[in-house]
Amino acid sequence: MTFAIEMSSQPSAPPVQPPTLSGILRSLLQADVTIQLRNGRALLLTFFPPLAVLYGLSAAKRSAQLGGPIVSVALALTLGIALIAILGYTASVARDRELGVLQRLRVTPAPTWTIMVSQLAVQIVSMLAMSLVVLVAAAVVENVSLDPAAYLLTLVAVIFSSAVFLGVGQALVGLIKSAETVNAVGRLSFLPLVALGLFAHSAIFGTTFETIARWSPGGAVATLLAGAMHPAAWNGDTWLAFLTSVVYAVVFAGIGIRWFQWSTR
Amino acid sequence: MAASGQSAERGLALQVEGLRVSYGPKLAVDGVSLDINEGEIFGLLGPNGAGKTSTLSAIEGLLKPDAGSIRIGDVDARANPSAAKARMGVQLQSTSFQASLTVREIVRLYAGLYGVQITRAGIDDLLAGVHLGEEASKRFSQLSGGQQKRVSLLIATIHSPPLVLLDEPTAGLDPQARRQLWDRIERLRDLGRSILLTTHSMEEAQAVCHRVAIIDNGKLITVDTPTGLIEKHKDDPRVLKVAHGQVTLEDVFIGLTGSDLRD
Repeated sequence: MTFAIEMSSQPSAPPVQPPTLSGILRSLLQADVTIQLRNGRALLLTFFPPLAVLYGLSAAKRSAQLGGPIVSVALALTLGIALIAILGYTASVARDRELGVLQRLRVTPAPTWTIMVSQLAVQIVSMLAMSLVVLVAAAVVENVSLDPAAYLLTLVAVIFSSAVFLGVGQALVGLIKSAETVNAVGRLSFLPLVALGLFAHSAIFGTTFETIARWSPGGAVATLLAGAMHPAAWNGDTWLAFLTSVVYAVVFAGIGIRWFQWSTR
Repeated sequence: MAASGQSAERGLALQVEGLRVSYGPKLAVDGVSLDINEGEIFGLLGPNGAGKTSTLSAIEGLLKPDAGSIRIGDVDARANPSAAKARMGVQLQSTSFQASLTVREIVRLYAGLYGVQITRAGIDDLLAGVHLGEEASKRFSQLSGGQQKRVSLLIATIHSPPLVLLDEPTAGLDPQARRQLWDRIERLRDLGRSILLTTHSMEEAQAVCHRVAIIDNGKLITVDTPTGLIEKHKDDPRVLKVAHGQVTLEDVFIGLTGSDLRD
């Protein structure tokens, strides 16, 4: 089938060059950082709960019951990381997906992985910022002061721990499409995944409960963080917690990546 | 049926051959072939669920086709999606941008994603050019429907792509906003851009499109200029059955796709 069409006589558009990867990542990061800084709820989630837990445990003199001051600080960090990942990250991705923002980004030359890497990078930076604030507060409240090597190891452990909970978050947005449901399930999953870990080093509910708590995602991460803050006490349990965390991160992230859909349609 | 474009002097902006897209057992696009010439506005008409958006989504790289080839200019879109995406501008059917960003920040983001170097003053000039200078500091959600469409079209063309894909660009707009958008589409055409748009509006198809294809059940039924389509199908009994007086493009459309309501 052929058609004679009268075309415009204007010149064609000039050849278009694909943008550079660094330019794409810079633009995405700039936008995602701006969004994060403007999100009051995210900022509140980032700093308030871990500090409140730290001060609360100290004021109630409960640190010893939960395993000592370093464990208290590790628990506060675990809570902060989990909140950012399971509530903050999931809410951000689920909302953007529901609004069609992710699809709009996908029709640009930006490789799809850069869209997620940018979002994840902003969350990890938030976790590091939260950790620094908590560690400074811990020096004041619990008299826990770390030497530079322990500081560095703790921050590395924070990045590693973020993989566990961001993996959980990815699994949530991978398995659930609706932003509202993601939010609700995220809150519900907090109890087994994170709150249980509060008792990872405490036998107040019995040793069986302690064992279960210790190998829950929250417990494994808290043990790992406590080990990083006190490298001299790093032992077989810490290595086991490290390996458990690796398994959790791989399994949850695998589920999240396998079933993730960019659109709710 | 293949929608051919003949142009001895100009190349093809888009060439789709044997495109097949399915969702599980449901075949949404069934062997669609179409060519769009440089500088041409091509309209894709079809009832709801006919396969318009699926066809566009496959071209845009949002869906992985089961079969078929897609070339944007001289770039194989399936083999080199990033290069293909750099050569096209897209306005999705229901686009939303980041709710927390201002219009200026959204334009800056997408300029960066397309590798366009632009200053703040340059962004403001672009926004002023589409009568959105005063809205630069507003959030996208604070804009009216017409203003949102203008931002969306501005972003779709910010990198001066040779091919622009518009999915129901005037849906939900009042007549004034619709006319303004047609003017913008025609200006793009005057700049040498090729445009593929989907629409439910026969008026729009007749007003701005060089050629129109009617798609139903995933297949292209017919392709021609708007007047050519009327001429070709004016004696078709299915068309005559639904016509009230002189045959219009809408009569052709309804005659060929049926009067049943679609979801």
